[in-house]
Amino acid sequence: MTTLLLRRAIRVLVVCVGVSLITFGILQLSGDPVALMMPEAPEADRAKLREAMGFNDPVALQFVRFVGNSIRGEFGKSFYYRAPALDLVLERMPTTLTLTVLALGLAVLVSIPAGIYSAVYRYSLLDQIVTVVVFLGQSMPVFWTGIMLMLLFAVQWRLLPVSGWEGWQFMILPAVTLGTFQAPLLLRIVRSSMLEVLGLDYVRTARSKGVSEWIVICRHALVNAALPVVTVTGLQFGILLGGAVITETVFAVPGVGRLIVRAILQLDFPVVQAGVFLLAMIVVTVNFVVDVLYAYLNPQIRVR
Amino acid sequence: MKRWRLFLVLFLATLLIPLGAAAQKDTLVVALVSHAPTIDPHFHFERVGILVNINMFDSLLHKNKRLEYEPSLATSWKALNDTTWEFKLRKGVKFHNGEVMTAEDVKFSFDRVLDPAKKSPQYGNIRAIKEVRIVDPETIHLITDRPFPLLLERMVFFPIVPKKHVEKVGDQVFGISQPVGTGPWKFVEWKRDQHIKLEAFDGHWRGRPAFKHLIIRAVPEVSTQVAELKTGGVDLIRNVSSDLVPDLKAHPQTYVSTAPILRTHYIEFDMRHPPFDKKLVRQAANYAVDKQTIIQKLMAGLGRQVATTVHPAAFGHDPSVTPYPYDPKKARELLAQAGYPNGVDVTIHSAFVEFRPVFEAICQMLTEVGIRATPKPWDPGPAYNKFLQGEGKATHGYYGSWGYYSVFDADAILHPLYHTEPGGWIGKWYTRIEGLDGMIDEARSTVDQAKRKRIYAQIQRYIKEEAPNIFLFHQFDTLGVSKKVEYEARGDEWLWLFDAKPKR
Repeated sequence: MTTLLLRRAIRVLVVCVGVSLITFGILQLSGDPVALMMPEAPEADRAKLREAMGFNDPVALQFVRFVGNSIRGEFGKSFYYRAPALDLVLERMPTTLTLTVLALGLAVLVSIPAGIYSAVYRYSLLDQIVTVVVFLGQSMPVFWTGIMLMLLFAVQWRLLPVSGWEGWQFMILPAVTLGTFQAPLLLRIVRSSMLEVLGLDYVRTARSKGVSEWIVICRHALVNAALPVVTVTGLQFGILLGGAVITETVFAVPGVGRLIVRAILQLDFPVVQAGVFLLAMIVVTVNFVVDVLYAYLNPQIRVR
Repeated sequence: MKRWRLFLVLFLATLLIPLGAAAQKDTLVVALVSHAPTIDPHFHFERVGILVNINMFDSLLHKNKRLEYEPSLATSWKALNDTTWEFKLRKGVKFHNGEVMTAEDVKFSFDRVLDPAKKSPQYGNIRAIKEVRIVDPETIHLITDRPFPLLLERMVFFPIVPKKHVEKVGDQVFGISQPVGTGPWKFVEWKRDQHIKLEAFDGHWRGRPAFKHLIIRAVPEVSTQVAELKTGGVDLIRNVSSDLVPDLKAHPQTYVSTAPILRTHYIEFDMRHPPFDKKLVRQAANYAVDKQTIIQKLMAGLGRQVATTVHPAAFGHDPSVTPYPYDPKKARELLAQAGYPNGVDVTIHSAFVEFRPVFEAICQMLTEVGIRATPKPWDPGPAYNKFLQGEGKATHGYYGSWGYYSVFDADAILHPLYHTEPGGWIGKWYTRIEGLDGMIDEARSTVDQAKRKRIYAQIQRYIKEEAPNIFLFHQFDTLGVSKKVEYEARGDEWLWLFDAKPKR
């Protein structure tokens, strides 16, 4: 168990360096932040600012400075907000996490029962419908789903507020949008792993012992089918955070995603770096937890 | 099944209750794409911030709907000589915290922007001011280091802040949680990326605004803003793109209000390289583009053709200079005369994302007369590097626009676009017109408005002939407004919400 943890921890470190290298590199390629900060200002003023911000130093030096600082949690001050970038990101993190966790919860709540039903009543009418819905759900881009849900529930039927983040009713549409993005894949995994497990000998044995079908499904089959589901849920968490970026913009949710989108457009390096770094850390941590959980659920891994 | 349906109805009804309560008649909700980084009016220079600031802070001067100067915190003003301006201050004006505004506060406001250590992004706007002198408690003199004809323009957005209060709470707190001004609304709450809540200030010298509550929401997506407007979640949105205009015009709960604005479109030629080093080719390009069709078909009619880059509303505009007509035949002739009877290949660049279709249409029209133009679209970031730095590499030209930084004066576009002095804007890379620099400088060096007007008239005739650009059109501001609210778009793109009234 200890070696497993250690190995995973090293992997976390490697990911950290990789993430910072990529964010740094992409931003280096994307143009001059000073020109974007003061587009219609005289060149002399811009040159002064460029020098003051250290953009004239060699790229390698800038990178070393960046890595050194980010290890200490210092991403510098946002060019735009003139405030520490990390604070700006942390201030908005609870909103994004709330949205993501709600969406994840929603997806799990819908996809597990539906997946089980589909597996147990395979090829039934409802199973076919579910398959079609899964197909549709996976093909719809998040922003489109979001705008369609908004048009239906907020503009046409006036059941929910259009946008904002002022109370629980404001959270429904963004969470459903993001959940719709995640649920189909989860549902498919539940269905296929349930199908696999239901055909195994020990299930047949349980049934032949006269155990009720309900208990066979929930106690015997589901626990074993849960392994891949847990893995995928963990992996999907990162994709969900990515989806949150778009959802937050569409629904005017004051989260990290929106902050990063704006920072990218303004080439506000420190905010992009702090934001991406922190989100990456969350994904890595979740995956780490999933790995551990996996080991707990599946004794075979612990032994290995 | 029935009981299930009843439950659903009840559930949905509970959702509706909080929504209904939110819509009150004394509240005006405005959506902007974002909030400025601070509410301190001196430490940003962004449209979204200015629009909030003007409703909380007063400046020395104000502009009415027709864009004429009006007294605000200054009741009268005059130039004593080329470098000294006198302003008489309004008596008994109260700040939101009850303190009375004095000449000390005015001086303090200037000094905090002029202090280089504070790095205000508005420093450049007023750096010509050398000294702010308090003559008596109701009179101040602004002394400039050279004749500064744009001074009055700059005083329209130069908010006055309370000295004692700012010194007590500090710049940071002032800008985030305790801004205090003399304007119609006072600060209540700012939730970043959500809303700024303001409340009418009872002691405002103009009287009370019609709406007791003013909420400025940050909604980044235009389609979301439109959905909010249609459902009554917000009352006012800006920059409605031309494809959405018909939709909002037709909707029973909304209308569209438009006004011509300064933002002027052009194609800037690189005059250092062939073929646009030749005057005849530049003129041919001006004849080749059918501006009226572009305005009607691609911009929902929301544009107006200009004769040169000097906007009709800017000081110095000469209406006797007429636009180039659309004349493709003439364009082909001129091109042949210039030595290109078989046409010529050029590349035109642009980072003007919202006007991509217009960009492509212009290139197509140029191609039809023989100036075979390849459109090259860019992202704004890399484009700035390419076009504005190094050597200005937008060969052979680029499609862009200039917003005059909201200064209604010919100088505000002539200098950045055409002056070739080092440290200038794009003129230094692209424009090569004999003697133009001198004319721009001359108009700049006096506050004698009649003389300036004469020089600008001369310049406009000259640049029309020399054609350093394809002169295109200026844009319109388009507001989407709820039918519950009466408000008209302004030519300076301000949201001066003191003029907004509830409609019965």
